[in-house]
Amino acid sequence: MLYRVIDAAELPALVDAFMERYEVIAPVRSGRSFAFEAVGSFDDIVLDYPTTITSPKKYVLPPRETLFEFDAAANEVADFVEEVTPRVIFGVHACDINALNSLDLVFRDARYPDPYYAARRDATMVVGISCTPSEGCFCHLVDADEARTGYDLFLQDIGGRYLVSIGSVEAANILEGACNPREATDEDRIAFRHATRRRQASFNPDIPNIQEVPMLMDAFHSDPFWEELGGRCLSCTACSSVCPTCYCFDIRDTMDPDGVHGLRERTWDACTSPQFAVVAGGHNFRADGRNRVRHRMYHKLNGFMAAHDRNLCVGCGRCVYACKAGISPIEVLRFFERKGADDAD
Amino acid sequence: MSATNEKAPARVVVVGLASCFGCQLQITNIERHLLDVLGQVDLRYWQLTSSDPMPEEFDVAVIEGAVTTEEAVRTVRELRERAGTVIAIGACAVTAGIPAMAAPGFAERAASVYGDEAPEACGSLRPPAPVSSVIAVDHEVRCCPIDPLDFVDTLQRVLRGSNKAVPTSTLCGECKRNERGCFYGRETLCLGLVTRAGCGARCPDLGRPCNGCAGLSPDANVASARAVAARSGVDPARLDKALELFNTVDPSLASKG
Repeated sequence: MLYRVIDAAELPALVDAFMERYEVIAPVRSGRSFAFEAVGSFDDIVLDYPTTITSPKKYVLPPRETLFEFDAAANEVADFVEEVTPRVIFGVHACDINALNSLDLVFRDARYPDPYYAARRDATMVVGISCTPSEGCFCHLVDADEARTGYDLFLQDIGGRYLVSIGSVEAANILEGACNPREATDEDRIAFRHATRRRQASFNPDIPNIQEVPMLMDAFHSDPFWEELGGRCLSCTACSSVCPTCYCFDIRDTMDPDGVHGLRERTWDACTSPQFAVVAGGHNFRADGRNRVRHRMYHKLNGFMAAHDRNLCVGCGRCVYACKAGISPIEVLRFFERKGADDAD
Repeated sequence: MSATNEKAPARVVVVGLASCFGCQLQITNIERHLLDVLGQVDLRYWQLTSSDPMPEEFDVAVIEGAVTTEEAVRTVRELRERAGTVIAIGACAVTAGIPAMAAPGFAERAASVYGDEAPEACGSLRPPAPVSSVIAVDHEVRCCPIDPLDFVDTLQRVLRGSNKAVPTSTLCGECKRNERGCFYGRETLCLGLVTRAGCGARCPDLGRPCNGCAGLSPDANVASARAVAARSGVDPARLDKALELFNTVDPSLASKG
């Protein structure tokens, strides 16, 4: 990896340079929170945002997208080619970059590549930025606190200047053209180490650090805890609406009011939706909150690990805020902590 | 139950019971698509547009309004017998909605208004109830008022079938997709916690808390919602009270308490 240093005062020029060629998406204030939105000016961007309500996932896997159009009268299907807007998502935290990397493993799986996802992902540049953990953040416990790949640039705030990790030639050229990137000095490297330590020390110490979570998930699969946790579920699917790695989708046909033209659409689905596991004939394999919530946690903390050797949960903490019933992976970690304490007694 | 006929378009009747007729009116509000939609069916009867009597034969019955009289009970039973498909539209038909607020202690309420005997024009009064409490309903178009495009979508489902799932999840997921914060963070009551999704969480998106017009989800977790309210500084009794606006006669409310 190539590293350069730029001054903080050079950031507006960098964003302007991106804006010349791309739509720039960045965190902006939205009500009392923050959201990734298209911006028209560097001044709209809130670089020190704690988190956003939803993640940049929506730019590679939109909540609702057209797969193709059809004509029911003529019984014809028209291949649908989406005009993909070349974008830069600016100011992405490490957790969300890791989330995109996990989505890549699913949608760019060579056996079942997803052309819709790939078209958007290929047209999207990612500029990461360092962050200070919020109360609900636990990326460090799921190995997602550092983005090792998956970005074009990553800006590490080292006090009045940024240590820039360069991940692509395209971004390097834009950086070179817009700023005066210089070689990192020893002083920069020391500042980077200090910044990293400060960040490590900022994580909420009340969130327990549990080893061997995937194994514990299997060990406590039948524990009454799941009834207690899932029994609170409101069946609202807010968890997956805000999750940067939930990728389940539904496919359905939407007719135009004329009854002739229609769209085949892909929409986000959620395993916490009551109908998610209903099969032909009407049987529901996960008919209650206990089974649905447990399934969701298993996929986030166990199942994806088995298939892809990484946690699907990136510890971004969004579901911690979105779930009004207080259901989140943190509750699972706390359960394991209690179990450990019980065993020690 | 399919009303599809390869040759003749489905014969449709639209009937209003106890309601403000606003949902029927909503259908006329899709001006841009109205002729397209009417062109796909054989509209045999629409109370709102004509005083002609209802025909003997039809395929699809669209019912708006709550069942509030014995005469209405007979009407919907007759509709069920003749129609291959019954669609209930609007909160009044689906949950008995606002009329149902009169259901508890109904006889006393009627007596306080009409005395010993209600005028003949009222019909034979009974506690307001949703259409589905009297007959089997095949499809429901929810909310107060209905989204007319939701009605058209349901009609298309009847005419052509559909692969769209009808979810019973509650509203907050849609609200989060709209990237909205939560009213409970501002100690403000919102019924999205227990109300059926499908409307796109439009009211919260416009800055107004959900008032529950889509009706309680059969998967609503009212006990958990009360706990959410209590934790958020909202008296759970206010949540119960607010549910009365559209869900007074929901049979699940007593058991879910």
